[in-house]
Amino acid sequence: MTNHTPSLEVRNLMRSFGDKTAVDDVSFTVEPGQMTGFVGANGAGKTTTMRMIMGVLTVHGGEVLWGDRPITARDRTRFGYMPEERGLYPKQPILDQLIYLGQLRGMTRKDAASEATRMLERFGLGDRLKDKLESLSLGNQQRVQITASLLHRPAALVLDEPFSGLDPVAVDSMVDLLRDRLREGVPVLFSSHQLDLVDRLCDSLVVLAGGKVMAAGKSAELRARGPRQFAITTAPDAGWLRGMPGVQVVDVDGARAVLELDDAATQDRVLREAVARGLSEFTPLVPSLSDIYREVTR
Amino acid sequence: MSTTAPATHSPRLDDGSAPTDLPAVKNPWLVVTIREITVKLTDRNFLLSTVLTLVLIVAGIGLSAFLGSRTADYTVVVTSGEGREVASGATNTITSGDSGDTLTIKEAADEQAARQQVLDGDADVALVLTDQGWILVGRDSVDGTLGGALSASVTSSVLAANAEAAGTTVATLTAGSEVTTELLEGSDERNALKSAASFAFAFLFYMAAIIFGMAIANSVLEEKQNRVVEILATAIPIRQLLYGKVIGNSLLAFAQIGLFAVVALVGLNLTGAASDFGWLLGASGWFIAFFVAGFTALAAVWAVLGSLASRSEDLQSNTGPITTVIMVALFAGIFADGTWLTVASYVPVVSSVAMPVRLLDGNVAMWEPLVSLLVVIATAYALLRLGERVYQRAVMQGGTALSWRQALKLEV
Repeated sequence: MTNHTPSLEVRNLMRSFGDKTAVDDVSFTVEPGQMTGFVGANGAGKTTTMRMIMGVLTVHGGEVLWGDRPITARDRTRFGYMPEERGLYPKQPILDQLIYLGQLRGMTRKDAASEATRMLERFGLGDRLKDKLESLSLGNQQRVQITASLLHRPAALVLDEPFSGLDPVAVDSMVDLLRDRLREGVPVLFSSHQLDLVDRLCDSLVVLAGGKVMAAGKSAELRARGPRQFAITTAPDAGWLRGMPGVQVVDVDGARAVLELDDAATQDRVLREAVARGLSEFTPLVPSLSDIYREVTR
Repeated sequence: MSTTAPATHSPRLDDGSAPTDLPAVKNPWLVVTIREITVKLTDRNFLLSTVLTLVLIVAGIGLSAFLGSRTADYTVVVTSGEGREVASGATNTITSGDSGDTLTIKEAADEQAARQQVLDGDADVALVLTDQGWILVGRDSVDGTLGGALSASVTSSVLAANAEAAGTTVATLTAGSEVTTELLEGSDERNALKSAASFAFAFLFYMAAIIFGMAIANSVLEEKQNRVVEILATAIPIRQLLYGKVIGNSLLAFAQIGLFAVVALVGLNLTGAASDFGWLLGASGWFIAFFVAGFTALAAVWAVLGSLASRSEDLQSNTGPITTVIMVALFAGIFADGTWLTVASYVPVVSSVAMPVRLLDGNVAMWEPLVSLLVVIATAYALLRLGERVYQRAVMQGGTALSWRQALKLEV
């Protein structure tokens, strides 16, 4: 059941605080059923962008589109949102406050209660429904927070640093929940500092720096866009590669070297020479998202 | 819920179905109102303070009823037939009316024995006739009622004897000397009840305005501080949140005051402490109307104060002015008189106490409370609209405490 929900798009989004431009002409699309990672250093403008998408902050320029039309408050009611600064009632029992949030989004009390109970049980919090939020560990509070954003079966998810503060087990169960949503065709935008996690989870990536989009697109495309590198091992010493035309040696360590090759012809010549000398390894290196991130934000 | 029912509104988490298109909440403020009330009604401190206040009201009424109906049994010891005669004269005074007091007369052989009985506590006083005249002997004090009755009896008995000796009568001697007290307004009982009611109006308003006002401010601040408001803002218009809070807490305040009032009036009725308070109900009815309007005006301000603060410490400083206004209302209700009271009865919020207090007097034209009420309602509306603008801006702005002016300059 993909393409059921519209895509979420931001177009030429602008926002400044006083003289400082926080978000500068930002455009990207979060496709339905796609997990889109939103990465960038602190102050890059991720949170500001997300708050504008959610209508918490006024847009100074550009627009947010839901499908092919400007987003409305009604659309946002159906979104799931997790703000950067966590927000729930510390002195309220966790089930009660989830029911309240569900009701505000149009669920009946009964549905909100059964759905919240179900999700909390899935997070292993089934026996703590009546406990106050503040009595839970930080990780468990985070789980309740996630439940709050998923409870009403949102049409889109905007999650600001959803994984921060979670242990690996909690990350996995959260990812499971998100995958359920993705299967339903929900667009998911989440920001994170943890590049390895983004690498593992994302279908698409938006890299932000200084309020501008540095790179955006499918992870696979972004990877392909980087310089093609290869690892090669020729005994006894790979030093001979240094003199070859069309070859940039990135690194040599004894018999092993990392190369960038200008074209396919160069690759042929290198391989022939290497086979003659004794080739034991020739591997294309796929850049990690961390590499891409460093590359585009350099 | 069967999975074959297509129109189910109870989507399952893992059934792979598409996101639900939930209906929009019709009255978001109502959901907020219900939550505000539920949270308060399950708050132990709130329940405890309500019960405690009720206990105090009941105890207060009970105590005054008890003090009012307590009877005294006096014993006087005399040494002679003349003494007995004078004491009997006092009996009428003491047992008159419905006080239920009694006077027992004992006789002792001589003055010495009489004094001893008083010392031993067998009698409250001794009444002895000496060469210097009548002496009333008490141990460490003489009860006012008993002493007064006995003295009066002595006076009238001596007066009668002297008059007879002078060849006239007491009636002739005292003709025209009687002074009768006449109250131009109400009765003693009514006036006492009136000042009690004035105090009750003033104090109830003061208490509710401060307690529930602080509750509103804290509830707003809690959401701001914990950033829940950011989630709420994506679900419902932030205005609705303000309405829900103001209405919820106002309803709670009215319910609590209503409860106190009913318990107090029923108590007064049962104990018979006030026989006729129909006239009080009229003023009380007005009080409730003024309370509702005045409280709503304040509630909007309290909500704004909560949104301007960034920590609970800020509330202590920025609630100063509103607390002062409420104090003025309290003191106007208790102390203001004449022109001052008339002026106060038209000042919004202060009028919530001052006008009902004036109405207790009765000399108020029908249009006066109506006009004053309209002034408060207009003020409440204006404050709510202004409050809405400040609240919407300030509640999203974490970090530092804001002033009204700063908040209005902010972008939404």
